[in-house]
Amino acid sequence: MSRTTLIIKNDIKRRLKAPMATILFLIIPLAMTALIGMIFDPGSGGETKLPPIQLLLVDHDKELASKFLIGAFNQKEVKDMFQVTTVDAASGEQLMKKGKASAMLVIPEHFSDDLADQKPTALEVVKNPSEEFLPGVAEEFAATMAVGLSAVAQVFADELKIIKSASQLELKDISIAQMTPFLEMARVKIIALQSYLSPLLLQLKASTTTKPGETAAPKGFNIFSYIMPGMLIMFLLFIVEAFMREIQNERADGKIRRMMFSPLSTRELITARLFGGWLLGVLVCFLAMGVGTLLFGIDWGNPLLVFLLVLVSCFWCAAFFGMLNAFFKNKNQAGAFASPIILVFAAFGGSMLPLEQIPQGMRWLAQFTVNNWFITGCRTIIDGGVPYLSFTVLSVSGLVFAGVAMVALQRRLST
Amino acid sequence: MQQKILEIKNLSKNYGETVALANFSLDLEKGEVLGLLGPNGAGKTTLISILSGTLRGFTGSVMFKGQDLFADRNLRNLIGIVPQEMAFYEDLNALENLMFWGGLYAIPEKELKKRARELLVVVELSSRAKEPIKKFSGGMKRRLNIAIGLIHKPELLLLDEPTVGIDVQAKVSILDIIHGLGQQGTSVVFTTHQLAEVEQSCSRIAIMDKGTILAQGTLAELIRIVGEKEIVEVSGEFSADAFSAIIRRSDGNGMEILSVADHRAHLAFADSERIPAMMQHLFKHHLPIADLKIKSPNLEAVFLKMTGRSLRD
Ligand SMILES: Nc1ncnc2c1ncn2[C@@H]1O[C@H](COP(=O)(O)OP(=O)(O)O)[C@@H](O)[C@H]1O
Ligand SMILES: [Mg+2]
Repeated sequence: MSRTTLIIKNDIKRRLKAPMATILFLIIPLAMTALIGMIFDPGSGGETKLPPIQLLLVDHDKELASKFLIGAFNQKEVKDMFQVTTVDAASGEQLMKKGKASAMLVIPEHFSDDLADQKPTALEVVKNPSEEFLPGVAEEFAATMAVGLSAVAQVFADELKIIKSASQLELKDISIAQMTPFLEMARVKIIALQSYLSPLLLQLKASTTTKPGETAAPKGFNIFSYIMPGMLIMFLLFIVEAFMREIQNERADGKIRRMMFSPLSTRELITARLFGGWLLGVLVCFLAMGVGTLLFGIDWGNPLLVFLLVLVSCFWCAAFFGMLNAFFKNKNQAGAFASPIILVFAAFGGSMLPLEQIPQGMRWLAQFTVNNWFITGCRTIIDGGVPYLSFTVLSVSGLVFAGVAMVALQRRLST
Repeated sequence: MQQKILEIKNLSKNYGETVALANFSLDLEKGEVLGLLGPNGAGKTTLISILSGTLRGFTGSVMFKGQDLFADRNLRNLIGIVPQEMAFYEDLNALENLMFWGGLYAIPEKELKKRARELLVVVELSSRAKEPIKKFSGGMKRRLNIAIGLIHKPELLLLDEPTVGIDVQAKVSILDIIHGLGQQGTSVVFTTHQLAEVEQSCSRIAIMDKGTILAQGTLAELIRIVGEKEIVEVSGEFSADAFSAIIRRSDGNGMEILSVADHRAHLAFADSERIPAMMQHLFKHHLPIADLKIKSPNLEAVFLKMTGRSLRD
């Protein structure tokens, strides 16, 4: 066994021994896909549509989280369900008194900040007492979004704090135990929401029981296949980043130095780490895609093309973070910069908001993110095309980054 | 004459302004266990790093078995290094660690496994081979650290402060292992800043400070440097300056000042009958003395004489 394979085997083995961190990063994108997908599922077929719900919205926050919330109501599919009017507090109350709307949603001041700081905060839903059903739907929707947001705030607590204060973080501190109550709450809320929207429930049941082999069923629009690639690539970035960051930890605790006592060369070590990160990404990606198929009935399209896209995307991730770690002086720098970079990628690359939702003036930024190329690649393959551009961009830039990583990391490791 | 396994000549290394090694020279015979004693910052880790091939930018030469150590990369495979840090994977067990670190030397798997099991016996970890290392005590981790350094059967083992931060019993066990290695024919250099360790378990001792060797030899040889003298350790709430000033006013006949620091000073007397007179002198000048100890010559006295300061200062 060559030294390179020895290191790859050792790294992968260690991750399989303690798979919790990786599994967590797998569960989150799946859970978020489920959450968002179920909310926005328009329900195809001929179910009776609900009348649009008149909703008034008072935004005292006007920050990231409130924009996200308003954005959720403005999603194409949700728009059919709600008619949202943004108002100020005084006129909102007036309109409610006159019974002109089913409900009014009040986003409190410092809503985004409090979420980021993990302080309790509350969305207020004022219901029209003369109606029973529709205000309840609005309330549940808002509650579900709130749960989603607080789950996100929990998961990304550190990152949110970093964005706010540019301090340091330790991502691996998130435990599954911390996450579970939120995922469980989200599940409960989803069930609650479904009880209001029984046609949607039927629709969901139909879509989750579709087996991948049954191509006889007409291939309709699957909301999950629309959401999951963005989630997946974001968490792939986290997984591969955590893997590549190990170089910093091992440099600090003397393991790299000890490796250098042996005949191992820095080139062999870097090759092993680039391959290891790549391999881990590919494994996780396939696993997630498989679960996505089983759970949400996603048909990813031509397997060969999917395989290729996963290969180039994961290679890109490994090479990119390999390169970054050559420029980070130590693990604190890596910790402080890597996650914000991933979140910026996610924000501009279409993982958090669909590309169409990103303001026109900023859309060009997407082409600098792996997220965009992966997401558009997935969609092209799902739609039956070949994402030549994604392949080219990702493989060429990936190779360049790998080259830089090789040279720069060698230099970093030999000092 | 036996061939020297290691000959270090005029090794010098600076970190910017800081001089870490200054014309450091040292020889080692095959099978010798050499204790390299030096206070923090003496340059011990720098020396080990250079010998391990991971630190460059030095001058001087190192011959290993008569060959230039840095001319042939393969020579380094005959040297084992035990770094000061416990650099191994805590999420793997002891056996898995030995297999990994040994694997880097491309030892055939079967042979490697056999070697790993033998070593686990040597470092008294064979019953814990498959336990998570997270549960290991500090002493057990130190012993595993040593085993990893031995996995490729080196002819020379270099250990950097192998007993730091563990309790007395664990230290004894590690010193025993080191002693045993010497008896098996492995040449050993280990660094420490603790006197008691080199007194116990070395065939030879070298004292270093500020990047250079000050004295070396067997314990008996070193003690002869101080001579047949009584060592007096004076401690109390005084400053180094105050102590020196008072001493200067005495006649000082037959007395040698080994070290003077704040709160502690060491004096050596060729004639023990002169001690009371000196003490009287100190009391007369109201030196606040809290404690007085009279000792026969030992390694500490040698160290004090060579460096002018105590290891603890
Ligand atoms: N990487 C470094 N950069 C600058 N100075 C260093 C570095 N490593 C060690 N030194 C300095 O070199 C001297 C010797 O250090 P070291 O070899 O670690 O001593 P020891 O191991 O005996 O405590 C000390 O003064 C230390 O501060
Ligand atoms: Mg040291």
